[in-house]
Amino acid sequence: MGSVATVAALDGAIARVERRYGSRALARGASFERRSDEGVLRTGTAFDRIAGGVPTGAPCAFVGTGACGKLALALRAVAAAQRDGAHVMWVDPTASLDAVAASHAGVDLNRLLVVRTRRRADALTSAAAALRSGGFRLVALDTGPGLLASSVRADDVAPLVPLVRGSAAALVVVTDQAPRRLALLTFRFERVAWERELGRTTGWTFRVAGARGAEALFHARSYPRTLLDLGVRGELLEASA
Amino acid sequence: MKVFAVARTAQAASDAARQRALDALHTALPRVGVLDRGVYACDLRGTRRLLGAPLEVARRIVALCERAGATCAIGVGPGTFVARVLADQTPLGEARELAMDARAFLAPLPVATLPLDPRIVDELALMGIRDVAGFAALDRGSVLDRLGRAAAAAHALASGMDDLPVHGVPPRRRIRAGRRFDDAIGSKEQLVFALRVLADTVADRLRADGLAALRLVLHAEREDAPVLRLERVLLPPAAEPAALVRSLRWALDELPHRSFVSAGTPGDRHALGRIEAAAIEAVEVEPLRGRQLGLFAPDGAHAEEAIAVAQHLRGRLGAGAVLRARVQSPDARLPEREVEWTEVVA
Repeated sequence: MGSVATVAALDGAIARVERRYGSRALARGASFERRSDEGVLRTGTAFDRIAGGVPTGAPCAFVGTGACGKLALALRAVAAAQRDGAHVMWVDPTASLDAVAASHAGVDLNRLLVVRTRRRADALTSAAAALRSGGFRLVALDTGPGLLASSVRADDVAPLVPLVRGSAAALVVVTDQAPRRLALLTFRFERVAWERELGRTTGWTFRVAGARGAEALFHARSYPRTLLDLGVRGELLEASA
Repeated sequence: MKVFAVARTAQAASDAARQRALDALHTALPRVGVLDRGVYACDLRGTRRLLGAPLEVARRIVALCERAGATCAIGVGPGTFVARVLADQTPLGEARELAMDARAFLAPLPVATLPLDPRIVDELALMGIRDVAGFAALDRGSVLDRLGRAAAAAHALASGMDDLPVHGVPPRRRIRAGRRFDDAIGSKEQLVFALRVLADTVADRLRADGLAALRLVLHAEREDAPVLRLERVLLPPAAEPAALVRSLRWALDELPHRSFVSAGTPGDRHALGRIEAAAIEAVEVEPLRGRQLGLFAPDGAHAEEAIAVAQHLRGRLGAGAVLRARVQSPDARLPEREVEWTEVVA
Protein backbone atom coordinates (compact mmCIF):
# COMPACT_ATOMS: atom_id res chain seq x y z
CA MET A 1 0.00 0.00 0.00
CA GLY A 2 1.47 3.34 -0.99
CA SER A 3 1.46 6.54 0.92
CA VAL A 4 -1.64 8.69 1.21
CA ALA A 5 -0.19 11.10 -1.34
CA THR A 6 0.49 8.29 -3.80
CA VAL A 7 -3.00 6.88 -3.43
CA ALA A 8 -4.50 10.34 -3.85
CA ALA A 9 -2.41 10.93 -6.97
CA LEU A 10 -3.49 7.57 -8.35
CA ASP A 11 -7.13 8.31 -7.63
CA GLY A 12 -6.74 11.66 -9.36
CA ALA A 13 -5.20 10.00 -12.40
CA ILE A 14 -8.00 7.42 -12.51
CA ALA A 15 -10.59 10.18 -12.22
CA ARG A 16 -8.98 12.06 -15.10
CA VAL A 17 -8.96 8.99 -17.31
CA GLU A 18 -12.58 8.18 -16.45
CA ARG A 19 -13.63 11.77 -17.05
CA ARG A 20 -12.03 11.70 -20.45
CA TYR A 21 -12.80 8.22 -21.66
CA GLY A 22 -15.84 7.26 -19.59
CA SER A 23 -16.48 5.43 -16.36
CA ARG A 24 -15.91 2.00 -17.86
CA ALA A 25 -12.57 2.81 -19.38
CA LEU A 26 -10.70 1.45 -16.38
CA ALA A 27 -11.23 -1.62 -14.26
CA ARG A 28 -9.31 -2.82 -11.27
CA GLY A 29 -7.29 -5.93 -11.75
CA ALA A 30 -8.93 -7.61 -8.78
CA SER A 31 -12.21 -7.60 -10.64
CA PHE A 32 -10.90 -9.97 -13.28
CA GLU A 33 -10.89 -13.69 -12.85
CA ARG A 34 -8.46 -15.87 -14.76
CA ARG A 35 -7.85 -19.50 -14.48
CA SER A 36 -4.34 -20.35 -13.43
CA ASP A 37 -3.76 -22.48 -16.52
CA GLU A 38 -4.95 -19.74 -18.87
CA GLY A 39 -1.62 -18.00 -18.64
CA VAL A 40 0.48 -20.60 -20.44
CA LEU A 41 0.37 -22.94 -23.39
CA ARG A 42 1.69 -26.31 -22.36
CA THR A 43 3.58 -28.10 -25.11
CA GLY A 44 3.60 -31.40 -23.26
CA THR A 45 7.39 -31.61 -23.45
CA ALA A 46 10.38 -31.02 -21.18
CA PHE A 47 10.17 -27.39 -22.23
CA ASP A 48 7.20 -27.02 -19.86
CA ARG A 49 9.34 -28.25 -16.97
CA ILE A 50 12.07 -25.67 -17.50
CA ALA A 51 9.89 -22.74 -18.56
CA GLY A 52 6.38 -23.61 -17.41
CA GLY A 53 5.14 -23.44 -21.01
CA VAL A 54 4.79 -20.71 -23.57
CA PRO A 55 3.41 -17.67 -21.74
CA THR A 56 0.28 -15.87 -22.95
CA GLY A 57 -0.16 -12.18 -22.39
CA ALA A 58 3.56 -11.65 -22.85
CA PRO A 59 5.88 -11.92 -25.82
CA CYS A 60 8.66 -14.46 -25.96
CA ALA A 61 11.43 -15.26 -28.41
CA PHE A 62 12.83 -18.57 -29.61
CA VAL A 63 16.38 -17.69 -30.59
CA GLY A 64 18.92 -19.87 -32.32
CA THR A 65 20.80 -20.47 -35.51
CA GLY A 66 19.33 -22.40 -38.43
CA ALA A 67 18.38 -26.05 -37.88
CA CYS A 68 18.49 -25.92 -34.12
CA GLY A 69 14.92 -26.96 -33.35
CA LYS A 70 13.20 -23.66 -32.61
CA LEU A 71 10.63 -24.16 -35.36
CA ALA A 72 9.91 -27.70 -34.20
CA LEU A 73 9.13 -26.51 -30.69
CA ALA A 74 7.19 -23.52 -31.97
CA LEU A 75 4.96 -25.91 -33.90
CA ARG A 76 4.37 -27.84 -30.67
CA ALA A 77 3.27 -24.56 -29.12
CA VAL A 78 0.91 -23.99 -32.05
CA ALA A 79 -0.61 -27.44 -31.53
CA ALA A 80 -0.99 -26.67 -27.84
CA ALA A 81 -2.76 -23.39 -28.62
CA GLN A 82 -5.16 -25.16 -30.95
CA ARG A 83 -6.06 -27.79 -28.39
CA ASP A 84 -9.13 -25.82 -27.28
CA GLY A 85 -10.27 -25.12 -30.82
CA ALA A 86 -8.49 -21.79 -31.14
CA HIS A 87 -7.01 -20.29 -34.28
CA VAL A 88 -3.33 -19.50 -34.71
CA MET A 89 -1.67 -17.05 -37.05
CA TRP A 90 1.76 -17.82 -38.45
CA VAL A 91 3.41 -14.79 -40.00
CA ASP A 92 5.89 -16.16 -42.49
CA PRO A 93 7.77 -13.44 -44.38
CA THR A 94 10.31 -15.92 -45.73
CA ALA A 95 7.67 -18.45 -46.86
CA SER A 96 9.58 -21.20 -45.09
CA LEU A 97 6.84 -22.89 -43.05
CA ASP A 98 6.88 -26.64 -43.60
CA ALA A 99 3.22 -27.62 -43.52
CA VAL A 100 3.99 -31.35 -43.46
CA ALA A 101 6.18 -30.91 -40.39
CA ALA A 102 3.44 -28.82 -38.84
CA SER A 103 0.93 -31.56 -39.52
CA HIS A 104 3.29 -34.14 -37.97
CA ALA A 105 3.63 -31.90 -34.91
CA GLY A 106 -0.12 -32.11 -34.36
CA VAL A 107 -1.05 -28.76 -35.86
CA ASP A 108 -4.57 -28.51 -37.30
CA LEU A 109 -3.85 -26.82 -40.61
CA ASN A 110 -7.49 -25.74 -40.97
CA ARG A 111 -7.08 -23.49 -37.97
CA LEU A 112 -3.68 -22.17 -38.93
CA LEU A 113 -3.68 -18.95 -40.94
CA VAL A 114 -0.39 -18.34 -42.68
CA VAL A 115 0.42 -14.80 -43.73
CA ARG A 116 3.12 -14.59 -46.36
CA THR A 117 4.24 -11.09 -47.02
CA ARG A 118 7.74 -9.88 -47.70
CA ARG A 119 7.40 -6.36 -46.37
CA ARG A 120 8.34 -5.81 -42.77
CA ALA A 121 5.51 -3.33 -42.19
CA ASP A 122 2.93 -5.77 -43.57
CA ALA A 123 4.22 -8.60 -41.40
CA LEU A 124 3.99 -6.46 -38.29
CA THR A 125 0.57 -5.11 -39.29
CA SER A 126 -0.72 -8.66 -39.74
CA ALA A 127 0.53 -9.73 -36.33
CA ALA A 128 -0.93 -6.60 -34.75
CA ALA A 129 -4.33 -7.17 -36.37
CA ALA A 130 -4.37 -10.74 -35.10
CA LEU A 131 -3.43 -9.73 -31.56
CA ARG A 132 -5.99 -6.94 -31.46
CA SER A 133 -8.82 -9.06 -32.78
CA GLY A 134 -8.91 -11.50 -29.89
CA GLY A 135 -9.59 -14.28 -32.37
CA PHE A 136 -6.18 -15.92 -32.08
CA ARG A 137 -4.66 -17.80 -29.18
CA LEU A 138 -1.15 -17.59 -30.55
CA VAL A 139 0.61 -15.44 -33.10
CA ALA A 140 3.95 -16.74 -34.30
CA LEU A 141 6.31 -14.51 -36.23
CA ASP A 142 9.10 -16.36 -37.99
CA THR A 143 11.67 -13.74 -38.95
CA GLY A 144 13.88 -16.19 -40.84
CA PRO A 145 17.65 -15.78 -41.04
CA GLY A 146 17.37 -12.02 -41.47
CA LEU A 147 19.92 -11.79 -44.24
CA LEU A 148 18.30 -8.88 -46.05
CA ALA A 149 18.08 -5.33 -44.82
CA SER A 150 14.31 -5.45 -45.26
CA SER A 151 13.94 -8.60 -43.14
CA VAL A 152 11.95 -8.55 -39.95
CA ARG A 153 14.17 -8.55 -36.86
CA ALA A 154 13.32 -9.34 -33.28
CA ASP A 155 13.69 -5.70 -32.27
CA ASP A 156 11.01 -4.74 -34.81
CA VAL A 157 8.27 -6.38 -32.75
CA ALA A 158 8.36 -3.57 -30.17
CA PRO A 159 4.98 -2.15 -31.34
CA LEU A 160 3.41 -5.58 -30.73
CA VAL A 161 4.47 -5.77 -27.10
CA PRO A 162 1.71 -3.53 -25.68
CA LEU A 163 -0.85 -5.42 -27.76
CA VAL A 164 0.02 -8.80 -26.36
CA ARG A 165 0.48 -7.67 -22.77
CA GLY A 166 -2.62 -8.51 -20.78
CA SER A 167 -4.29 -10.29 -23.69
CA ALA A 168 -5.13 -13.99 -23.74
CA ALA A 169 -2.91 -14.53 -26.75
CA ALA A 170 0.73 -15.54 -26.94
CA LEU A 171 3.29 -13.98 -29.22
CA VAL A 172 6.21 -16.17 -30.19
CA VAL A 173 9.02 -14.63 -32.22
CA VAL A 174 11.12 -17.28 -33.94
CA THR A 175 14.38 -15.64 -34.85
CA ASP A 176 18.05 -16.25 -35.52
CA GLN A 177 19.31 -13.22 -33.65
CA ALA A 178 18.29 -12.22 -30.15
CA PRO A 179 16.79 -8.77 -29.73
CA ARG A 180 19.35 -6.14 -28.78
CA ARG A 181 17.21 -3.26 -27.63
CA LEU A 182 14.04 -5.07 -26.62
CA ALA A 183 13.66 -7.01 -23.38
CA LEU A 184 11.84 -10.17 -24.39
CA LEU A 185 11.55 -13.42 -22.53
CA THR A 186 14.14 -15.31 -24.56
CA PHE A 187 14.70 -19.04 -24.92
CA ARG A 188 18.00 -19.90 -26.55
CA PHE A 189 18.19 -22.94 -28.77
CA GLU A 190 21.51 -24.61 -29.49
CA ARG A 191 22.33 -27.60 -31.60
CA VAL A 192 24.34 -30.17 -29.64
CA ALA A 193 25.12 -32.82 -32.24
CA TRP A 194 24.23 -33.96 -35.72
CA GLU A 195 22.98 -37.48 -36.28
CA ARG A 196 24.25 -39.23 -39.39
CA GLU A 197 23.28 -42.55 -40.91
CA LEU A 198 24.88 -44.08 -43.98
CA GLY A 199 26.78 -40.90 -44.64
CA ARG A 200 23.70 -38.72 -44.62
CA THR A 201 22.47 -36.30 -42.01
CA THR A 202 19.22 -37.64 -40.58
CA GLY A 203 18.70 -35.53 -37.51
CA TRP A 204 20.16 -33.48 -34.74
CA THR A 205 20.01 -33.06 -30.99
CA PHE A 206 19.39 -29.64 -29.54
CA ARG A 207 18.92 -28.03 -26.19
CA VAL A 208 16.74 -25.19 -24.99
CA ALA A 209 18.02 -23.01 -22.19
CA GLY A 210 15.41 -21.70 -19.78
CA ALA A 211 15.65 -19.66 -16.63
CA ARG A 212 18.10 -20.53 -13.85
CA GLY A 213 20.30 -22.52 -16.23
CA ALA A 214 17.87 -25.38 -16.72
CA GLU A 215 18.05 -27.05 -20.10
CA ALA A 216 15.65 -29.26 -22.03
CA LEU A 217 17.02 -31.70 -24.59
CA PHE A 218 15.32 -32.78 -27.79
CA HIS A 219 16.19 -34.88 -30.77
CA ALA A 220 14.79 -33.97 -34.17
CA ARG A 221 14.72 -36.52 -36.98
CA SER A 222 14.35 -35.57 -40.60
CA TYR A 223 12.86 -38.85 -41.77
CA PRO A 224 10.33 -39.48 -40.46
CA ARG A 225 9.84 -35.92 -39.28
CA THR A 226 9.59 -36.39 -35.55
CA LEU A 227 10.64 -34.57 -32.42
CA LEU A 228 11.79 -36.76 -29.55
CA ASP A 229 11.60 -35.30 -26.07
CA LEU A 230 14.76 -36.39 -24.24
CA GLY A 231 13.97 -34.66 -20.95
CA VAL A 232 15.58 -32.09 -18.69
CA ARG A 233 19.37 -32.21 -18.62
CA GLY A 234 19.66 -32.13 -14.83
CA GLU A 235 17.32 -35.08 -14.47
CA LEU A 236 19.23 -37.02 -17.11
CA LEU A 237 22.51 -36.43 -15.26
CA GLU A 238 20.95 -37.60 -12.00
CA ALA A 239 19.60 -40.70 -13.70
CA SER A 240 22.96 -41.57 -15.25
CA ALA A 241 24.93 -40.96 -12.02
CA MET B 1 -64.55 4.36 -39.34
CA LYS B 2 -61.74 3.53 -41.71
CA VAL B 3 -59.49 6.46 -42.54
CA PHE B 4 -56.23 6.16 -44.37
CA ALA B 5 -53.76 8.77 -45.52
CA VAL B 6 -51.36 8.13 -48.34
CA ALA B 7 -48.38 10.41 -48.79
CA ARG B 8 -46.35 10.52 -51.96
CA THR B 9 -43.11 12.31 -52.57
CA ALA B 10 -42.05 13.83 -55.87
CA GLN B 11 -41.00 11.40 -58.58
CA ALA B 12 -37.61 13.09 -58.77
CA ALA B 13 -37.03 13.06 -55.02
CA SER B 14 -33.75 11.58 -53.90
CA ASP B 15 -33.54 8.53 -51.67
CA ALA B 16 -32.41 10.75 -48.81
CA ALA B 17 -35.46 13.00 -49.23
CA ARG B 18 -37.75 9.97 -49.29
CA GLN B 19 -36.13 8.66 -46.13
CA ARG B 20 -36.62 12.03 -44.46
CA ALA B 21 -40.29 11.97 -45.43
CA LEU B 22 -40.66 8.48 -43.97
CA ASP B 23 -38.90 9.58 -40.78
CA ALA B 24 -41.26 12.55 -40.51
CA LEU B 25 -44.28 10.25 -40.89
CA HIS B 26 -42.89 7.93 -38.24
CA THR B 27 -42.49 10.79 -35.79
CA ALA B 28 -46.08 11.98 -36.31
CA LEU B 29 -48.14 8.81 -36.75
CA PRO B 30 -48.40 5.46 -35.04
CA ARG B 31 -48.66 3.09 -38.01
CA VAL B 32 -46.86 3.77 -41.26
CA GLY B 33 -46.32 1.37 -44.13
CA VAL B 34 -44.53 1.55 -47.44
CA LEU B 35 -46.74 1.01 -50.51
CA ASP B 36 -44.20 1.83 -53.17
CA ARG B 37 -41.01 3.77 -53.68
CA GLY B 38 -41.76 7.15 -52.12
CA VAL B 39 -45.42 6.25 -51.38
CA TYR B 40 -46.36 5.72 -47.76
CA ALA B 41 -49.65 4.68 -46.20
CA CYS B 42 -50.77 5.72 -42.73
CA ASP B 43 -53.61 4.07 -40.88
CA LEU B 44 -55.48 6.83 -39.04
CA ARG B 45 -58.18 4.71 -37.48
CA GLY B 46 -58.81 5.66 -33.87
CA THR B 47 -56.56 8.70 -33.91
CA ARG B 48 -59.16 11.44 -34.20
CA ARG B 49 -59.39 12.21 -30.47
CA LEU B 50 -55.67 12.05 -30.01
CA LEU B 51 -54.39 13.75 -33.15
CA GLY B 52 -57.42 15.65 -34.50
CA ALA B 53 -59.32 15.50 -37.77
CA PRO B 54 -57.57 13.44 -40.49
CA LEU B 55 -57.27 16.37 -42.88
CA GLU B 56 -55.65 18.48 -40.17
CA VAL B 57 -53.25 15.67 -39.43
CA ALA B 58 -52.43 15.40 -43.13
CA ARG B 59 -51.73 19.13 -43.38
CA ARG B 60 -49.46 18.96 -40.34
CA ILE B 61 -47.57 16.10 -41.94
CA VAL B 62 -47.15 18.05 -45.16
CA ALA B 63 -45.70 20.94 -43.15
CA LEU B 64 -43.49 18.54 -41.19
CA CYS B 65 -42.13 17.03 -44.39
CA GLU B 66 -41.51 20.48 -45.81
CA ARG B 67 -39.44 21.35 -42.74
CA ALA B 68 -37.53 18.09 -43.14
CA GLY B 69 -36.71 19.03 -46.73
CA ALA B 70 -39.09 16.60 -48.44
CA THR B 71 -42.16 17.86 -50.30
CA CYS B 72 -45.10 15.51 -50.39
CA ALA B 73 -48.77 15.33 -51.31
CA ILE B 74 -51.32 13.53 -49.14
CA GLY B 75 -54.69 12.05 -49.93
CA VAL B 76 -57.07 10.98 -47.17
CA GLY B 77 -59.77 8.41 -47.86
CA PRO B 78 -61.61 5.36 -46.53
CA GLY B 79 -59.11 2.98 -48.11
CA THR B 80 -55.45 2.94 -49.05
CA PHE B 81 -56.16 2.55 -52.77
CA VAL B 82 -58.56 5.43 -53.05
CA ALA B 83 -56.34 7.56 -50.83
CA ARG B 84 -53.39 6.81 -53.09
CA VAL B 85 -55.36 7.76 -56.20
CA LEU B 86 -56.37 10.99 -54.49
CA ALA B 87 -52.76 11.67 -53.47
CA ASP B 88 -51.67 11.19 -57.08
CA GLN B 89 -54.16 13.88 -58.12
CA THR B 90 -53.11 16.26 -55.35
CA PRO B 91 -50.39 18.82 -56.09
CA LEU B 92 -47.20 18.52 -54.06
CA GLY B 93 -47.31 20.44 -50.80
CA GLU B 94 -51.07 19.96 -50.33
CA ALA B 95 -53.41 17.57 -48.56
CA ARG B 96 -56.90 16.62 -49.65
CA GLU B 97 -59.65 14.51 -48.17
CA LEU B 98 -62.13 12.54 -50.25
CA ALA B 99 -65.42 14.40 -50.01
CA MET B 100 -67.60 11.80 -51.73
CA ASP B 101 -68.24 8.07 -51.86
CA ALA B 102 -65.16 6.13 -52.93
CA ARG B 103 -67.04 4.33 -55.71
CA ALA B 104 -68.39 7.57 -57.09
CA PHE B 105 -64.88 9.09 -56.95
CA LEU B 106 -63.34 6.23 -58.87
CA ALA B 107 -66.17 5.77 -61.38
CA PRO B 108 -65.11 8.33 -64.03
CA LEU B 109 -61.41 7.46 -63.86
CA PRO B 110 -59.82 5.37 -66.62
CA VAL B 111 -59.73 1.66 -65.95
CA ALA B 112 -55.92 1.75 -66.09
CA THR B 113 -56.05 3.48 -62.69
CA LEU B 114 -56.79 0.10 -61.17
CA PRO B 115 -53.93 -2.32 -60.49
CA LEU B 116 -54.57 -4.36 -63.65
CA ASP B 117 -52.26 -6.05 -66.09
CA PRO B 118 -51.96 -3.88 -69.24
CA ARG B 119 -53.12 -6.84 -71.35
CA ILE B 120 -56.32 -7.00 -69.34
CA VAL B 121 -56.77 -3.26 -69.79
CA ASP B 122 -56.44 -3.78 -73.55
CA GLU B 123 -58.91 -6.66 -73.42
CA LEU B 124 -61.39 -4.52 -71.50
CA ALA B 125 -60.92 -1.75 -74.06
CA LEU B 126 -61.82 -4.20 -76.82
CA MET B 127 -64.97 -4.97 -74.84
CA GLY B 128 -65.73 -1.24 -74.76
CA ILE B 129 -64.91 -0.84 -71.04
CA ARG B 130 -62.73 2.23 -70.60
CA ASP B 131 -63.59 3.61 -67.16
CA VAL B 132 -63.79 2.21 -63.67
CA ALA B 133 -67.58 2.47 -63.57
CA GLY B 134 -67.87 0.17 -66.56
CA PHE B 135 -65.52 -2.34 -65.01
CA ALA B 136 -67.33 -2.18 -61.67
CA ALA B 137 -70.60 -2.94 -63.43
CA LEU B 138 -69.33 -6.37 -64.51
CA ASP B 139 -70.25 -9.43 -62.52
CA ARG B 140 -67.50 -10.30 -60.02
CA GLY B 141 -67.75 -14.03 -60.67
CA SER B 142 -67.43 -13.54 -64.42
CA VAL B 143 -64.38 -11.32 -63.91
CA LEU B 144 -62.81 -13.99 -61.73
CA ASP B 145 -63.55 -16.72 -64.24
CA ARG B 146 -62.40 -14.89 -67.33
CA LEU B 147 -59.69 -12.54 -66.10
CA GLY B 148 -58.29 -14.18 -62.97
CA ARG B 149 -57.88 -13.48 -59.29
CA ALA B 150 -55.90 -10.24 -59.63
CA ALA B 151 -58.58 -8.75 -61.85
CA ALA B 152 -61.24 -9.81 -59.33
CA ALA B 153 -59.30 -8.00 -56.59
CA ALA B 154 -59.17 -4.90 -58.81
CA HIS B 155 -62.92 -5.25 -59.39
CA ALA B 156 -63.43 -5.17 -55.60
CA LEU B 157 -61.42 -1.94 -55.43
CA ALA B 158 -63.47 -0.47 -58.28
CA SER B 159 -66.59 -1.31 -56.30
CA GLY B 160 -65.31 0.65 -53.31
CA MET B 161 -64.42 -2.46 -51.29
CA ASP B 162 -60.92 -1.55 -50.21
CA ASP B 163 -59.77 -3.76 -47.37
CA LEU B 164 -56.04 -3.58 -48.00
CA PRO B 165 -54.34 -3.34 -44.60
CA VAL B 166 -51.34 -1.16 -43.83
CA HIS B 167 -48.31 -3.29 -43.07
CA GLY B 168 -46.41 -1.07 -40.67
CA VAL B 169 -42.64 -0.84 -40.93
CA PRO B 170 -40.64 -0.14 -37.78
CA PRO B 171 -39.21 3.33 -37.59
CA ARG B 172 -35.52 3.73 -38.29
CA ARG B 173 -33.62 3.53 -35.02
CA ARG B 174 -30.95 6.04 -34.25
CA ILE B 175 -28.45 4.18 -32.13
CA ARG B 176 -25.71 6.61 -31.38
CA ALA B 177 -23.19 7.28 -28.67
CA GLY B 178 -20.96 10.29 -28.55
CA ARG B 179 -18.53 12.05 -26.29
CA ARG B 180 -16.82 15.41 -26.25
CA PHE B 181 -13.27 15.48 -24.91
CA ASP B 182 -11.98 18.13 -22.54
CA ASP B 183 -8.55 17.89 -24.14
CA ALA B 184 -8.40 17.17 -27.83
CA ILE B 185 -7.13 13.70 -28.74
CA GLY B 186 -4.02 13.73 -30.82
CA SER B 187 -3.25 10.09 -31.51
CA LYS B 188 -5.00 7.20 -33.17
CA GLU B 189 -4.39 4.87 -30.23
CA GLN B 190 -6.03 7.31 -27.81
CA LEU B 191 -8.95 7.68 -30.17
CA VAL B 192 -9.43 3.92 -30.42
CA PHE B 193 -9.31 3.70 -26.64
CA ALA B 194 -12.03 6.32 -26.40
CA LEU B 195 -14.07 4.56 -29.08
CA ARG B 196 -14.13 1.40 -26.99
CA VAL B 197 -16.31 3.13 -24.41
CA LEU B 198 -18.64 4.44 -27.10
CA ALA B 199 -18.78 1.02 -28.75
CA ASP B 200 -19.79 -0.50 -25.40
CA THR B 201 -22.74 1.89 -25.23
CA VAL B 202 -23.80 1.27 -28.84
CA ALA B 203 -23.47 -2.50 -28.35
CA ASP B 204 -25.60 -2.35 -25.19
CA ARG B 205 -28.35 -0.52 -27.07
CA LEU B 206 -28.16 -2.88 -30.02
CA ARG B 207 -28.41 -5.95 -27.84
CA ALA B 208 -31.23 -4.46 -25.78
CA ASP B 209 -33.28 -4.28 -29.00
CA GLY B 210 -32.02 -7.60 -30.37
CA LEU B 211 -30.24 -5.86 -33.23
CA ALA B 212 -26.85 -6.07 -34.88
CA ALA B 213 -25.12 -3.23 -36.69
CA LEU B 214 -24.76 -3.61 -40.44
CA ARG B 215 -23.41 -0.14 -41.19
CA LEU B 216 -21.46 1.89 -38.71
CA VAL B 217 -20.46 5.52 -38.97
CA LEU B 218 -17.82 7.33 -37.00
CA HIS B 219 -18.14 11.10 -36.75
CA ALA B 220 -15.07 12.88 -35.43
CA GLU B 221 -15.10 16.63 -34.85
CA ARG B 222 -11.66 18.09 -35.36
CA GLU B 223 -9.87 21.30 -34.52
CA ASP B 224 -9.52 23.51 -37.58
CA ALA B 225 -10.73 20.78 -39.91
CA PRO B 226 -14.08 19.54 -41.20
CA VAL B 227 -15.86 16.69 -39.47
CA LEU B 228 -14.29 13.35 -40.33
CA ARG B 229 -16.90 10.77 -41.32
CA LEU B 230 -15.89 7.15 -41.68
CA GLU B 231 -18.44 4.55 -42.73
CA ARG B 232 -17.96 0.83 -42.39
CA VAL B 233 -20.05 -2.17 -43.39
CA LEU B 234 -19.92 -5.05 -40.93
CA LEU B 235 -20.28 -8.47 -42.44
CA PRO B 236 -21.59 -10.42 -40.71
CA PRO B 237 -23.60 -7.80 -38.79
CA ALA B 238 -22.32 -7.57 -35.23
CA ALA B 239 -23.43 -6.38 -31.83
CA GLU B 240 -20.14 -7.19 -30.11
CA PRO B 241 -18.24 -4.11 -28.94
CA ALA B 242 -14.95 -5.72 -29.97
CA ALA B 243 -16.22 -6.21 -33.52
CA LEU B 244 -17.41 -2.60 -33.71
CA VAL B 245 -14.11 -1.23 -32.45
CA ARG B 246 -12.12 -3.53 -34.70
CA SER B 247 -13.98 -2.36 -37.77
CA LEU B 248 -13.47 1.30 -36.86
CA ARG B 249 -9.80 0.70 -36.08
CA TRP B 250 -9.34 -0.78 -39.53
CA ALA B 251 -11.11 2.22 -41.01
CA LEU B 252 -8.62 4.45 -39.18
CA ASP B 253 -5.73 2.23 -40.25
CA GLU B 254 -6.76 2.62 -43.85
CA LEU B 255 -6.45 6.38 -43.66
CA PRO B 256 -3.18 7.56 -45.18
CA HIS B 257 -0.42 7.92 -42.63
CA ARG B 258 -0.02 11.64 -42.22
CA SER B 259 1.24 13.83 -39.47
CA PHE B 260 -1.55 14.77 -37.13
CA VAL B 261 -0.50 18.39 -37.09
CA SER B 262 -0.89 18.55 -40.85
CA ALA B 263 -4.68 18.24 -40.59
CA GLY B 264 -6.49 21.15 -42.08
CA THR B 265 -3.89 21.90 -44.68
CA PRO B 266 -5.31 22.09 -48.19
CA GLY B 267 -5.82 18.72 -49.79
CA ASP B 268 -5.28 16.88 -46.53
CA ARG B 269 -8.80 15.97 -45.61
CA HIS B 270 -7.96 12.43 -44.53
CA ALA B 271 -5.43 13.22 -41.83
CA LEU B 272 -6.94 12.68 -38.42
CA GLY B 273 -6.02 15.96 -36.82
CA ARG B 274 -6.88 16.71 -33.22
CA ILE B 275 -10.20 15.18 -32.28
CA GLU B 276 -12.47 17.26 -30.04
CA ALA B 277 -15.51 15.00 -30.08
CA ALA B 278 -16.37 11.59 -31.47
CA ALA B 279 -19.58 9.68 -32.01
CA ILE B 280 -20.44 6.22 -33.25
CA GLU B 281 -23.76 5.61 -34.95
CA ALA B 282 -25.27 2.37 -36.19
CA VAL B 283 -27.03 3.73 -39.27
CA GLU B 284 -28.27 0.38 -40.54
CA VAL B 285 -29.21 -2.54 -38.35
CA GLU B 286 -30.47 -6.08 -38.73
CA PRO B 287 -32.10 -8.48 -36.30
CA LEU B 288 -29.39 -10.11 -34.25
CA ARG B 289 -28.91 -13.70 -35.31
CA GLY B 290 -27.92 -16.37 -32.88
CA ARG B 291 -24.43 -17.77 -32.98
CA GLN B 292 -23.61 -21.41 -32.59
CA LEU B 293 -21.95 -21.93 -29.26
CA GLY B 294 -18.70 -23.83 -29.30
CA LEU B 295 -19.94 -26.60 -27.07
CA PHE B 296 -17.00 -28.88 -27.66
CA ALA B 297 -14.57 -26.17 -28.70
CA PRO B 298 -14.52 -23.34 -26.16
CA ASP B 299 -12.59 -21.03 -28.44
CA GLY B 300 -14.73 -21.79 -31.48
CA ALA B 301 -16.66 -18.60 -30.90
CA HIS B 302 -13.52 -16.69 -31.90
CA ALA B 303 -13.51 -18.23 -35.36
CA GLU B 304 -15.52 -15.32 -36.72
CA GLU B 305 -12.91 -12.92 -35.41
CA ALA B 306 -10.16 -14.91 -37.07
CA ILE B 307 -11.98 -14.97 -40.39
CA ALA B 308 -12.66 -11.24 -40.11
CA VAL B 309 -8.93 -10.65 -39.63
CA ALA B 310 -8.21 -12.83 -42.65
CA GLN B 311 -10.67 -10.81 -44.73
CA HIS B 312 -9.10 -7.57 -43.62
CA LEU B 313 -5.58 -8.75 -44.38
CA ARG B 314 -6.68 -10.17 -47.72
CA GLY B 315 -8.04 -6.76 -48.67
CA ARG B 316 -4.95 -5.01 -47.42
CA LEU B 317 -2.18 -7.31 -48.61
CA GLY B 318 -3.82 -8.64 -51.75
CA ALA B 319 -4.14 -12.13 -53.15
CA GLY B 320 -1.72 -14.85 -52.11
CA ALA B 321 -0.90 -13.37 -48.73
CA VAL B 322 -3.32 -15.05 -46.31
CA LEU B 323 -3.15 -18.76 -46.86
CA ARG B 324 -4.13 -22.09 -45.44
CA ALA B 325 -2.21 -25.28 -46.05
CA ARG B 326 -3.54 -28.71 -46.87
CA VAL B 327 -1.30 -31.73 -46.96
CA GLN B 328 -1.94 -33.44 -50.28
CA SER B 329 0.66 -36.16 -50.45
CA PRO B 330 3.13 -36.34 -47.57
CA ASP B 331 5.28 -38.89 -49.40
CA ALA B 332 5.53 -36.97 -52.65
CA ARG B 333 8.99 -36.78 -54.17
CA LEU B 334 8.71 -33.08 -54.93
CA PRO B 335 8.15 -30.73 -51.98
CA GLU B 336 5.74 -28.56 -53.97
CA ARG B 337 3.45 -31.57 -54.40
CA GLU B 338 3.33 -32.31 -50.71
CA VAL B 339 1.20 -29.35 -49.76
CA GLU B 340 -1.51 -27.30 -51.40
CA TRP B 341 -1.78 -23.68 -50.34
CA THR B 342 -5.18 -22.05 -50.70
CA GLU B 343 -6.56 -18.61 -49.96
CA VAL B 344 -8.38 -18.41 -46.64
CA VAL B 345 -10.76 -15.86 -48.13
CA ALA B 346 -11.38 -16.33 -51.83
